[in-house]
Amino acid sequence: MAPTPKAYDYIVIGGGSGGSGAARRAAGWYKAKTLLIENGRSGGTCVNVGCVPKKITWYFASVNETLKGAHHYFYDVPADVAFHFDRFKKRRDESIARINGAYESNWKKEGIELVHGTAAFAGPKEVVVDLQDGSGKQVFTAPHILIATGGYPILPEVQGARHGITSDGFFDIETLPRKIGIVGAGYIAVEMAGMLNAIGVETHMFLRGDTFLRSFDPMVQETMTKAYEDAGVVLHKRYPGFDKIERLDKEDVVAGKDIHEKRTEGPSPQKQLKITDKNGEVFECNELLWAIGRAPEINDLGLEKIGVKLTESGHVFADEWQNTSVDGVYALGDVTGKAELTPVAIAAGRMLGNRLFGPPELKGSKLEYNHIPTVVFSHPEVGTIGLTEPQAVEQYGKENIKVYKTKFAAMYFDVFSPEEKAKHPTQYKIICTGPEEKVVGLHILGEGSGEMLQGFGVAIKMGATKADFDRCVAIHPTSAEELVTMR
Amino acid sequence: MAPIQKECDYLVIGGGSGGIASARRAAKHGAKVIAIESARLGGTCVNVGCVPKKVTWNAAAIAENFKDAKAYGFGGFEEPTFDWPYFKKKRDAYVKRLNGIYANNLGKDKIDTLHGRASFVSKNEVEVKLDDGTKQTIKAKNILIATGGRPTVPDIPGKELCIDSDGFFDLEEQPKRIATSGAGYIGVEMSGMLHALGSKVDFFIRGDKLLRSFDPLIQDTVTKEYERQGVSLHKGAQITKVEKLDDGSKKVYYKEGDKESSIEVDVVLFAVGRVPEIEDLHLDKLGIKLNEKKHIIVDDYQNTNVENIFALGDVCDRGFELTPVAIAAGRRLSERLFAGKKDAHLDYSNIPSVVFAHPEIGSIGLTEPQAREKYGDSLKIYKTEFTAMYYAMMEPEDKGPTAYKIICEGVNERVVGLHILGVGSSEILQGFGVAIKMGATKADFDNCVAIHPVSAEELVTMT
Repeated sequence: MAPTPKAYDYIVIGGGSGGSGAARRAAGWYKAKTLLIENGRSGGTCVNVGCVPKKITWYFASVNETLKGAHHYFYDVPADVAFHFDRFKKRRDESIARINGAYESNWKKEGIELVHGTAAFAGPKEVVVDLQDGSGKQVFTAPHILIATGGYPILPEVQGARHGITSDGFFDIETLPRKIGIVGAGYIAVEMAGMLNAIGVETHMFLRGDTFLRSFDPMVQETMTKAYEDAGVVLHKRYPGFDKIERLDKEDVVAGKDIHEKRTEGPSPQKQLKITDKNGEVFECNELLWAIGRAPEINDLGLEKIGVKLTESGHVFADEWQNTSVDGVYALGDVTGKAELTPVAIAAGRMLGNRLFGPPELKGSKLEYNHIPTVVFSHPEVGTIGLTEPQAVEQYGKENIKVYKTKFAAMYFDVFSPEEKAKHPTQYKIICTGPEEKVVGLHILGEGSGEMLQGFGVAIKMGATKADFDRCVAIHPTSAEELVTMR
Repeated sequence: MAPIQKECDYLVIGGGSGGIASARRAAKHGAKVIAIESARLGGTCVNVGCVPKKVTWNAAAIAENFKDAKAYGFGGFEEPTFDWPYFKKKRDAYVKRLNGIYANNLGKDKIDTLHGRASFVSKNEVEVKLDDGTKQTIKAKNILIATGGRPTVPDIPGKELCIDSDGFFDLEEQPKRIATSGAGYIGVEMSGMLHALGSKVDFFIRGDKLLRSFDPLIQDTVTKEYERQGVSLHKGAQITKVEKLDDGSKKVYYKEGDKESSIEVDVVLFAVGRVPEIEDLHLDKLGIKLNEKKHIIVDDYQNTNVENIFALGDVCDRGFELTPVAIAAGRRLSERLFAGKKDAHLDYSNIPSVVFAHPEIGSIGLTEPQAREKYGDSLKIYKTEFTAMYYAMMEPEDKGPTAYKIICEGVNERVVGLHILGVGSSEILQGFGVAIKMGATKADFDNCVAIHPVSAEELVTMT
C-alpha cells in the first residue's frame, strides 16, 4: 500500500547542531510546522562523538595534569595517581544521554515532530523515510527541505585500516591502550594525542610533514609541535606512508552495531597491531587512530535523483544563503564542508529560519562566514580568528602589515623549575594592517586561551584596531592582559 | 654637613605599579628621572597584593581540583596535605625575583632610585630621609605622588593581635581556624583561598551580602556559593573584641544581630578598608587638597591643585585602585608631560576588573541599579545561569554556579555593563572589555560566532 504523504512547512534531515538549530528557530520562533528526521542519536556529532565528550575528556586530562604538577605547590601527592577510566567513561556517557534527552524534550516543547529513520529524496519537495522501528517507509512533503546530515571520519585506502579506529571509536574506549598511534595532523589528531598523552598513554603521531596544525599560523605550528615533543609525544615526521596494518591478537573481530564505529573494528583491550610502512619498517602498538579527514554523510540521500550539485570535494554545494542548486532545498553544517564547527551550523540554521519563515525585515538573513573564532583543545589550548601571517602577507603585502608578538610563561608555572617552565609556553600574535592597524588576525596559545578568545572575537568582528585593544585597561593578574599591552 | 642637592625633571615618590610605569615612560622620552621608594620596589601589587595573591589562588585552585578529581574517577589518595611553610618560601622567592627585575629595569632606564622616606619642603623640593639616617634634598620641575595605600584595622580592643592583608602574606603557618572580616573583594578573596586550602573560616560581614558594590546578581550568587562551599558566613555581624589565650590562640568576641557570642581561632584577619599613604609627605605644607577619606584630589589629567604636582594610583581619589589603572594613568601622564601629547590622559570609564574569589568574578561598566539610575527605563537586561561543563561529572550538591548578565541601554542596545561569575571568568573578560570600550551593542555580541564548547559562548548567544 502506498504510504500517505504527510505535509509540513519545513523538513530538516539531520538532528545535529545545524539541523536542531534550524528546526528550533523555524518552529519555536515562527511556528513553522517542522519535521526533523534523525537516524542516529539526537545532537549529532557534537553531542555524541564530538565537542561534548571531547571537552569532558579534556577536563579529565587537565585534572590529571594538575595533580601531576601539584607537588610544585607543595602538595603531597603520590607519584602516579590512580584513576578508573572505565568509570569515567560511564559517567561521561550518562552526561551525553542527559543531553540527548534534553535535545528531544526541547524539540517536543517547540512542537517539532521527530521521526527516527533514514531519509532519501523522492523529489525536490518529497522525502521517503525508512523508519527505524521496521514498520516500513513513510513519505513526507514540504516546500522547504534542509540537508543537515553532517559527516563522518574517513579511513584511508590502506590494507587493514579497519583494524584501527577513528575519532568515533575513541569515545568507545573503556580500557586505555598502553601504546597508541595517531595518524593525522589536523586539530582532531592533535586534540586526541594531547589528551591521551596527558593521561599516561604512550602516544605516537604520524605526520606527513614536519609540523601539525598546518592550516594554522606558523607560530602555532612551531610552538605546539615542540610543546608536544617536550610533553613526551613521539612525532614520526615525514612518515613515508602506510603499507599495511595487521591484527596480531586472536580476538574475534566483528563490527558490532552497538558501537559508534560502523566502519572499523572498534577499540579492544586485547588489540595488538603490526604496522608496516612503505619502506618496510615495522611499528607495533595497541591501537591506531585515523584522524585524516571527514566526508559528508550523503550516500543514502539520493541527491542525484533531484540533481543536487556537489563541490569538488564531494560536499553538498550551498551558496551564501544556504541554497543548494535545487530550488527549495538547502544545506548547512558539516555536510557542506564549510567551517565545520557546531556554532557555525547553529548560526547558519538560525539565519536560514529567519530568512524562510521570519518577518519581512529578516528576509536578508544569512551568516557571514568571516572572522569565525575557533579553539583547539590541545595541551595547551590554541585559539585563532582571522588570517594567518602568510595569508595576511598575501592579501595585503608585507609592507602593509604589522605583527605584534609576545611569548612568556603563565604565572601558574612560576613555582615550577625553569626546565619545566620552558615546556609550558604562552604565546600571542596580533596581525594588523593599514595605517589604522586594523586587526585582521589573532592567534593565541597557552592556558586559558579557550575562554579568552570569545570577547576578542566580538571586538575583531566590530573592526577593532590595535589602538582599540590598547585603550582597554588591562585586567591583572591574568594572561589575557598581555593582549592589550603589547608593544 | 649640608645634604647634597639633586635635581631632575621628574621626581616620582613611590616605586609601585603607578610610580614605576610613569618613571620609566618619562625616562624613555628623555626626562631626567629620580624615583624614591621607602620599602620594596613593585609596591603593593608585587609584594602584598596582586602577585602573591594570584600565586596563592593558584594553590587554592589546585586544592579544589583534588576535590573534583574523585568525581572524574581519580583515586588512590585521601585528603592531600599542603605544605604551607615551603609554599610561602617559594612564593617569597618569586616576589624577590620580581623586586630584582624592577630594580634592573629602573637601572636600565637610567633612573636614579633612592631608598628612603620623602616629605615635601616646598612645591619644587622634596627631602628624603635615607636608610642610613642622612637626608637628601631633591629639586624637581615635576613631582608625582604615587605612594599608594595601606590596609587598616578597626580600633577595637585587641587590634594588635589581629592581622591585615599585609600580614596574610607573612603567615608562616597555615591557620587551622581563622576569623576574617570585610565583605569587599580582599576579604572575599582571602576567605575563599583559605577555605579552599583547608582552613576553617568564620567570615564576619556587617551586611547580609558579599561584594556590596557589585551587581546584585554577583552579590547574590557569590554569597550563596560561599555558604554552599562551607564557609561559615556571619551576616549582620561585627567583631567587637579580641583576646589572646594561653595557648596562643585568639578569642574573638562578636555581635551577630542581637546575639553576642565568641569563637576561638588561630588568626584574626581584617580586610575592612585601605587608607592612602600620605602622612609623612607633609602635604598640608603645600595646601594640596584631599577628600574626606584623605585621598589626593586630582582632575582628569592627574593634576592636583598645585601646579606641577601630580598624583595617581591608590593614593588619589579616582577610585579603581587597580594596578593596570595606575600603570595606564602613569604612562599617559608621562606622555603628556614629556612627549608633547597635550591631551594624554586615562579614560576612567569601562575599566574591567576581576575578583579572584571561588569562583572568579569579572565586571565592567555599570551595575543594574547604577544603570537604572542613569538611563531609567530604556534598559534591556540579558541574564543566564548555568552549570559549566566542568561539573558534568559531579553530584548535584558539588556543582558550582556560572552566572552572566549583560546590561544594555537605548534603542541600539549599547552594552553599558557586563557582569560574569564562574569558572574561567578571569580570562574571559578582557576581550569583552575591548569590545565594550569600542561601544559594542548586543547585536555586535551576537554577530560573533560562538566558540564551542566554552563558557564564554553563552555571552554571544543570549536571548
